[in-house]
Amino acid sequence: MPTVIIDGQKVEVERDATVLDAAKKAGVWIPTLCYHPAVSISGSCRVCMVELDRGDWRQLITACNYPVRRDIVVYISSDRAERARRGVMELLLARSPESPELKELAERMGVKSTPYPTVTESQRSCILCGLCIAVCEDIIGKAAIGYAGRGVDRTVASPFRQPSEDCIGCGACAAVCPVGTIKVRVHEEQEEVEISPFKSRGKLLVCEQCRAPIVSTQVGEQALGKVEMNREEFRELMRLCPKCRRSKTAARLEAGNIDKQRGGRVVS
Amino acid sequence: MISVPARLTSPSDIENLANALREESRAAPRSVRVCIGTGCAAKGSRRLYELFLEAATQSGEDIRVEAKCVGCHGFCERGPIVVIEPGEVFYQRVEEPDVPEIFRETVLGGRVIEGLLYEDPSTGKKATKATEIPFYNVQERVVLGMNGIVEPTSIKDYIARDGYKALVKVLTSMTPEEVVSQVEVAGLRGRGGGGFPTARKWRSCREAEGSCRYVICNGDEGDPGAFMDRSIMEGNPHSVIEGMAIGAYAIGAEQGYIYVRNEYPLAVEHLKVAITQAREIGLLGKNILGSSFSFDIRINRGGGAFVCGESTALMASLEGRTGEPRAKYVHTVESGLWGKPTNLNNVETWANVPAIINNGGEWFANIGTEKSKGTKVFSLVGKVENTGLVEVPMGITLRRIVDEIGGGIRDGKLFKAVQTGGPSGGCIPAEHLDARVDFDELTKLGSMMGSGGMIVMDEDTCMVNVAKYFTDFLQKESCGKCTPCREGLSQMLHILNRIARGEGEVGDVEELGTLAEILEGTALCALGKTAANPVLSTIRYFRDEYDAHILDRRCPAKECRGLFRYEIDAEACKACGICLKNCPADAITGEKKVPHTINQEKCTLCGTCWEKCPFTAVLKI
Repeated sequence: MPTVIIDGQKVEVERDATVLDAAKKAGVWIPTLCYHPAVSISGSCRVCMVELDRGDWRQLITACNYPVRRDIVVYISSDRAERARRGVMELLLARSPESPELKELAERMGVKSTPYPTVTESQRSCILCGLCIAVCEDIIGKAAIGYAGRGVDRTVASPFRQPSEDCIGCGACAAVCPVGTIKVRVHEEQEEVEISPFKSRGKLLVCEQCRAPIVSTQVGEQALGKVEMNREEFRELMRLCPKCRRSKTAARLEAGNIDKQRGGRVVS
Repeated sequence: MISVPARLTSPSDIENLANALREESRAAPRSVRVCIGTGCAAKGSRRLYELFLEAATQSGEDIRVEAKCVGCHGFCERGPIVVIEPGEVFYQRVEEPDVPEIFRETVLGGRVIEGLLYEDPSTGKKATKATEIPFYNVQERVVLGMNGIVEPTSIKDYIARDGYKALVKVLTSMTPEEVVSQVEVAGLRGRGGGGFPTARKWRSCREAEGSCRYVICNGDEGDPGAFMDRSIMEGNPHSVIEGMAIGAYAIGAEQGYIYVRNEYPLAVEHLKVAITQAREIGLLGKNILGSSFSFDIRINRGGGAFVCGESTALMASLEGRTGEPRAKYVHTVESGLWGKPTNLNNVETWANVPAIINNGGEWFANIGTEKSKGTKVFSLVGKVENTGLVEVPMGITLRRIVDEIGGGIRDGKLFKAVQTGGPSGGCIPAEHLDARVDFDELTKLGSMMGSGGMIVMDEDTCMVNVAKYFTDFLQKESCGKCTPCREGLSQMLHILNRIARGEGEVGDVEELGTLAEILEGTALCALGKTAANPVLSTIRYFRDEYDAHILDRRCPAKECRGLFRYEIDAEACKACGICLKNCPADAITGEKKVPHTINQEKCTLCGTCWEKCPFTAVLKI
């Protein structure tokens, strides 16, 4: 196994692990934005720059995708590495000055403000990290959103900027968004879920008892399709919100309808 | 006419064909070669070709005349160019009415028409042959050698002039390792801009794990004003195909791709024709010339994104994905197209290969400097007398290119800078004109070799404006994937725009320097990493111009609107009233016989008076 020396600290990692993996193992923090362990690595945000020792010179590399294939020495807290990360963060802050999440990360990196004016337009603080696109394609398998435009005109959008037919309203994009651009909005009256800002809407599965929203119908169907559901009691329970489900189970317990031989499961 | 055999199945087949073709051309020595390169075609050379063809077919049976369309001769400034054999008579600026006379006098009569020859502006001497013209005799044409001689759409013409001889040599007498060694001895370095040793790339790809390998020709030339690769693909497509086949043999690839811009329709067409011909005759496909080597090529047309010239973006585009670069920590020779070992070289690099194999690596290594071997094609444009496509030995000084080949600066103006290396290159000032054209030398000067763009600027060029132009170009062509390139270039452009408007602030130059450092260190691909070069090199050599814009609100070259004013020279003014009539702002006053004056408060600096004045009495101050 190759060893990585991070700021003097030695750590062993599997071949082809990344410098970021090594840093995690060593307990050293490197800021990241476009990195998420669940999806493929794009290396686009550039906030994880560190310095790699090449013998007679040092090269700035991105920690998230640099594969360790031999013994290497990297510097996270060198002047140049810190200056590089700060520079990138200042550029991002100029683009998205309003995002509390971004400001928080900046502060943790020791960047209090940006010297640059806002010259590129961001859609609700979007920093174009691409995690939402990657999760939709890699994990959900839908590709309901993608990049539109190029360069400074690049945005994340649904096809033709119309509500996407492929969106199942799962909200995975919102969950991975590091700067709070994407939000899941619930329209209770219409019993619909909206993924904002993409304007994609889907019907909500609502609780049969209290009418509280549970999840989008498409997600519900997909989830149910993955579990064997040959017992009526399960189907019944799945039509309830977690709260009603709990009270129903509790009521059954009280009534003593428990099959103790079958591991304490409720039988009707 | 020699009929081409259905399929060449052995090395002797192609040798016999070449001999027969040479015999045939000796029997009909009269030919007219019309250049249909970009520059000449724009001046109507296609029509000239049609007229010559018509004349040739009507010339009777006893005298056979061949009319040929050929690729770029390079001397685009003097197009359309027509060359007559025998005698290599070089006619320039040929127009439609000249055709009958050329045909009667030169083709049939063997007499030279003085009026169509090139005349040296300094000596007044006329040149009958191209080699007598200074523009050509400083050059050394290896890659462009056959441009302007072979008919690009005829494989027979190429074979008759020793075409595919290098491929035969490789297949019959060299092992793949020997081929790589020859390229190594030659010292060939990538002509696309990086200057990476070609043999090392080939060897890494050859030794990479995996059974399937690819070779790619990068024909996505996108630098403003550059047309080196275009002219090679248009003028001699078989040289690229032959080079690729040799490379594929050395590397162990069976499939090649040529990625060419769709904006180069003639290059696409000529490559298509050439590939089809090579396939039909058996020089591409299964078991080439009866050997165990099989290789074929596909053409992929690019949509015009500048960033697709970057190797990983190009491969993404080839795979049908968005043309965006990825990190190259794992090299493409190990995992490139479809994750397979892939060797990508630029058009000019591939086109050098047949010459290296035919003449040997040592011959090639004898041309050029210690670390930059061979020749380099440049597209020489800008404020020189002779613009065009030139091929020079590495190590030649910039001064010789500008003064001897380029014929010096136009209109007696003073030289200011030469921009090399395309949009990410840098501007080199007069004090470094004696620098040698060499990969490392140009990098030391803050510029680079790039793929061969060379733009000459005179005293009227504002260097802040130049930096602004290239930064604007790169900002528009940035794919937007990584933060520093997308955001950093926008910030730089924002500052440069302010400076050029006269709203610059003290500290702007330093801030540009800081942004340049971020870009160089943190951008994802070479486009972003080198994007600050135009700004850095102009600051390095022309800091005084930045200061004049920022501190004095003045543009010394008088190009940035608002940072100079127009005034009328009372002595030169003839009071003709033309400026007064044309001024859209009614800012000019004056009467008959009274010199006119400009009311500076009313003047909108549109420049109409300056353009219209027949006595150059309007001055930029």
